[in-house]
Amino acid sequence: MVQSYWRVVWEELKEHRAAVIGLGVVLTFIVIGLFAPIISQLFNISPYQQNPLQRYQPPWSTTELPLSERVLLVEQFMETHPEEARNINGMLHSLDPVKYQTTEENLLRWIEQSYDEMLKDLQGLPPKQQELLQRPIVSRIKTFHLLGTDELGRDVFMRLIFGTRVSLGVALLVAISSSLIGLLIGSLAGYYGGWLDHILMRITDSLLSLPLMPVLIVVSALSFEKLPILQMFSQGNWESIIKLILILVLFSWMTVAKLVRAEVLSLRERDFILAAKTMGARDFFIIMRHVFPNVMAPLLVAVTLGVGESIQFEAALSFLGLGVQQPTPSWGNMLFNAQEFITEAPLLALIPGLLILTVTISFNYIGDGLQEALNPKSFKR
Amino acid sequence: MLRYIFFRLLQTVVVIVALSFFCYLLLNLMPGDPVEILIQSNPKMTPEDIQRLRELYGLDRSIWEKYSAWIGDILKGDLGYSRTYRVPVSEILLPRLGNTFILSLSALLLSLFIAIPLGILAALRVNTKVDYLIGLFSFGGISTPSFWLGLMLIIIFGVQLKWFPASGTYSIENPDNWLGRIPYLVLPTLTLSYLSVGRFIRFTRSSMLEALKNDYIRTAIAKGLPRTKVIWKHAFRNALLSLITMVTLSFSGVFSGATITETVFAYQGVGKLVYDSILGNDFNVAMVSFMISVSMVLLFSLIADLLYSLADPRIRLH
Amino acid sequence: MRKILLTFLGATLVFSMGAAVASSQKSELRIGISQEFENLNPLIMSMSATTYIYSMVGRALVTLDANGKWIPMLAKSIPSIENGGAKLSADKKKLTVVWELREDAKWNDGTPLTCEDLAFTHEVALHPNVAIGEREIYRNIDKIEWDKKNPKRCTFVYNKPRWDFNQMGSFRPLPKHLESPIFLKTKNEVGGYEKNTLYVKNPTQKGLYNGPYQITEVVLGSHVTLEPNPHFTGKAPSIQKITIKLIPNTATLEANLRSNTIDMISPLGLSFDQAIMFSKKAQTEGLPYVTLFRPSLVYEHIDLNLDNPILKEKNVRKALIYAINREELVKALFEGKQTVAIHNIAPLDPWFTDDPKKITLYPYNKKLAERLLDEAGWSLGKDKYRYKNGQKLSLTFMTTAGNKTREMVQTMLQEQWKAVGIEVTIKNEPARVLFGDTTKKRQFTGMVMYAWVSVPENSPRSTLSCDAIPSEKNGWSGQNYPGYCNPEVDKIVEQLDREFDAQKRIQLAHKLLKYYTEDAFVIPLYYRADVAVIPKRLKGYDLTGHMYSETNFVENWRLE
Repeated sequence: MVQSYWRVVWEELKEHRAAVIGLGVVLTFIVIGLFAPIISQLFNISPYQQNPLQRYQPPWSTTELPLSERVLLVEQFMETHPEEARNINGMLHSLDPVKYQTTEENLLRWIEQSYDEMLKDLQGLPPKQQELLQRPIVSRIKTFHLLGTDELGRDVFMRLIFGTRVSLGVALLVAISSSLIGLLIGSLAGYYGGWLDHILMRITDSLLSLPLMPVLIVVSALSFEKLPILQMFSQGNWESIIKLILILVLFSWMTVAKLVRAEVLSLRERDFILAAKTMGARDFFIIMRHVFPNVMAPLLVAVTLGVGESIQFEAALSFLGLGVQQPTPSWGNMLFNAQEFITEAPLLALIPGLLILTVTISFNYIGDGLQEALNPKSFKR
Repeated sequence: MLRYIFFRLLQTVVVIVALSFFCYLLLNLMPGDPVEILIQSNPKMTPEDIQRLRELYGLDRSIWEKYSAWIGDILKGDLGYSRTYRVPVSEILLPRLGNTFILSLSALLLSLFIAIPLGILAALRVNTKVDYLIGLFSFGGISTPSFWLGLMLIIIFGVQLKWFPASGTYSIENPDNWLGRIPYLVLPTLTLSYLSVGRFIRFTRSSMLEALKNDYIRTAIAKGLPRTKVIWKHAFRNALLSLITMVTLSFSGVFSGATITETVFAYQGVGKLVYDSILGNDFNVAMVSFMISVSMVLLFSLIADLLYSLADPRIRLH
Repeated sequence: MRKILLTFLGATLVFSMGAAVASSQKSELRIGISQEFENLNPLIMSMSATTYIYSMVGRALVTLDANGKWIPMLAKSIPSIENGGAKLSADKKKLTVVWELREDAKWNDGTPLTCEDLAFTHEVALHPNVAIGEREIYRNIDKIEWDKKNPKRCTFVYNKPRWDFNQMGSFRPLPKHLESPIFLKTKNEVGGYEKNTLYVKNPTQKGLYNGPYQITEVVLGSHVTLEPNPHFTGKAPSIQKITIKLIPNTATLEANLRSNTIDMISPLGLSFDQAIMFSKKAQTEGLPYVTLFRPSLVYEHIDLNLDNPILKEKNVRKALIYAINREELVKALFEGKQTVAIHNIAPLDPWFTDDPKKITLYPYNKKLAERLLDEAGWSLGKDKYRYKNGQKLSLTFMTTAGNKTREMVQTMLQEQWKAVGIEVTIKNEPARVLFGDTTKKRQFTGMVMYAWVSVPENSPRSTLSCDAIPSEKNGWSGQNYPGYCNPEVDKIVEQLDREFDAQKRIQLAHKLLKYYTEDAFVIPLYYRADVAVIPKRLKGYDLTGHMYSETNFVENWRLE
């Protein structure tokens, strides 16, 4: 019975082309987010690699790493491949005894020259050694930036890909938590009315009118180290992420609750609900069977519209030290970081903005599709 | 009905009192104090200075003492002084409340004026190009951050075309010319209304769609009743519930929803004042503005409930 | 409908054009700021923007000029022991200082400014019901006396003399003839004076100001307008009207400059990053603006908490400094326009030294950092981080959240420390939480980055002495956040406060710097720069780079 209901819903949803596309886009973003480290491996670009002398490069540009960063790459290579490094040092010496007078530390001298000269030296090495140096050093020194670089010379494209994780995570979290909490509170208040309604709605009103700023400051000052249950989360980035979730869940459901309640208020006096009641159906059954499907329309709109907002909200929180912290990227904080340079580098704000727009649109079409699929009135009879 | 309203107003008073204490508590829970931050920017300040100032401002009294003193003053009708600006709260808050009210109201009206027709149109032409175009327009509004839109409008219309002043509330040279304020209002109003227009369009569209599916509307149209009449009289009425909820919700946020827009346009509204007063422990300003926004939320929650029963006579309030 | 819309558009066009035409007079200067200001009572004001504005309309006894030299303003000359203006008793217990006020110093209603005004200001400042911020300079003065026949010659009497008695840059007098009745009426009420002072009630009243300009309008949160003060007898200002506009969003501030609704952006305007961007853009677009950069006395640094067992070891602390490339950092992020700091004394300060024989310097040296860590027993693990007895070399790094420049510096340093095997976790808090709770009660566990604003020859007592380590016992007072305690340093600090000989003070300060740099409990980062954007036709404008702003010399500004 239940299974067939969801199958009908799925069949209906498939009819809605925009919803299917939206679902596809969101799934693609989820996949990109999940596989971000692999994508980074694939392009051999790290979202954290800084290049401070090449800040704010325009899209479609190529940068070279400064010497200090190259040295780090070589040192890392020497540590992971000590044997090969010694080997290559020797080869470089025999290749050009004038430039490389000893057989030691030639790699460090090799990277001091310009990229083209480096390549020339590389040509002289046997293919196996060439390949060895290619990924960890050569291709990292000269990087192509599809979307340019940010304020620390990091690759914007790769950071957007990693930013998918936080931003989409926040979006899904808010969508799920606000719809569940809002649905529960709204339908309880609307269906039972009376005191329960008054109490729940005054709580909702209070949360709506609660000044956000002092709450956020108080939360940001909360130290998990002092709370025994949460101590395990006080390590690293976890603390700020948990605070972020807490705040998002707490402040996301009120609009949904109000909308649901208004619909339920009107529904509960309708004939089919009254009929079910007189037939002795249990409240739980009535709410699940008759009320929920009918409040889906405003609920889905509210929830899907909340998605774009929450991605931005996350960024606003990081201004108070509550969102994700550097160096972790998110679309929201990339967008806000670009605020001051809007006249000089407008693209820096535009690209994450467009991504947020895409996700918002996709979620909304999924919402539209679901609304039609779940609506009892639109079931084909 | 009157009994219900009375009962709700009673609740409102209780909630306001309870929330006022809670807000006061919150403000006190915020760690740190701007008096202490003074020491960061002035090397000549000493810890003794800090201690003396704290005592002078009564910051070291217990929260009960502070709260009862504050509520006592409020009940006497004295809103107190702003500690940062050293002028009576009413003097600094009232004109700005007025400015914010003008801005928010014009933005709300403009967005409703655009959103309702477009929402209905989208619902009537569902899944056509028109619908998708309207959809794109509304999603744009939802996902555009207000600072970005505001700055873009400033750059285009303020800097390049010079049609409107880049920022401000009124002309400094000529502050009493009320008509002269209009050009200053245009860009912030556009920014603010585009943020909410998308939301209203989507709600109107989805509730209209919902309503149009009802059997009696289909029947009415099938029976040959005039289409416009059916749409406005029956379908739109049905769509009203969520629209009422959304509009009253945005009304209750009239005084707090425009902070970023106001800051970007250097508009003399209440938003930044409240923000600064919270960060600056300017309790009197912060508390008065909280109380105003709490009352607005509660009042409009009541208005919404009353409007529900007007829109849908089946709804009974008790 | 369309008709209405068109007329509306047309009307707004006319209005806005009217506004644009009205504001392009030649001898008017419109200054944009992005920070809030309050009322202009010189004793009460505490915001930087207020001091910035006040300095155009009112003067102090002395001020510090752009070269870091004290110069007289309301005073004829600066009294000192050397020039005989100040006399120290033989037992060094009593000091009398004679301040001669300029003969032509007047309030802007023509009333002469006399010792009575100074004495009145002193009285108000010391009254327990007046919320004045910095009271130290007034409290040190025990009495202000003068001869009725010569009310321009004031004698300040000190019973606990300090050598910095003549640095009266914050002594800004109040007009007794206007403010005295108000003070007498309201002084018994807490905060009564500051609510009722004429600077609040009627800020355009003649007689409240003594500088080259006077106030014609104050609208809090919006703007202040000024016109020349006819009673000012110093150099007459050339600009006939100055408007200071508050535009809180810095991007809008820039847009206003471009749309010509303001003429310049004060140092209290753009962020540093933005200024750099703007200066480049202005050059390529050929905009008629100059972007000025001036190293200031704002000292960015990282405090290390010495209670942390990892940081207890001096060589680990040194390794932390050697591991970071500050030269590259300022070059990359600030284009060299903010300079690397080597300790807490700025180059402008007479106490400054960069002599490697006197202090310890820490040039970037990754190898040395690694060696020091190895020697301290922190060896590299498989994950590229260092471990000792199973414990990871991991530190938290805090700063003020939402400050973009600091966050960039933080992220860069994090990478550099990672390269030597130190894990650094970033944990930022809003400024009020960080300073109000975390540093104040020393709750940061590792490193915290922030800035001190300093003035030349400032006593380091509150940041270096053992007593200044905040603790429950001393009521969390003092700013020795690292928790550095050294009896030798305490002794020098003590001597420094009582030394009247400038040369000897310098020697003492150098000794102090030796400890400061060698013990490495603070990582000096850089000195911030003040930035301003001015129109090319504005001449005579010099940024000072310290808390006594360039508006003290506003009469030298002229538009060509």
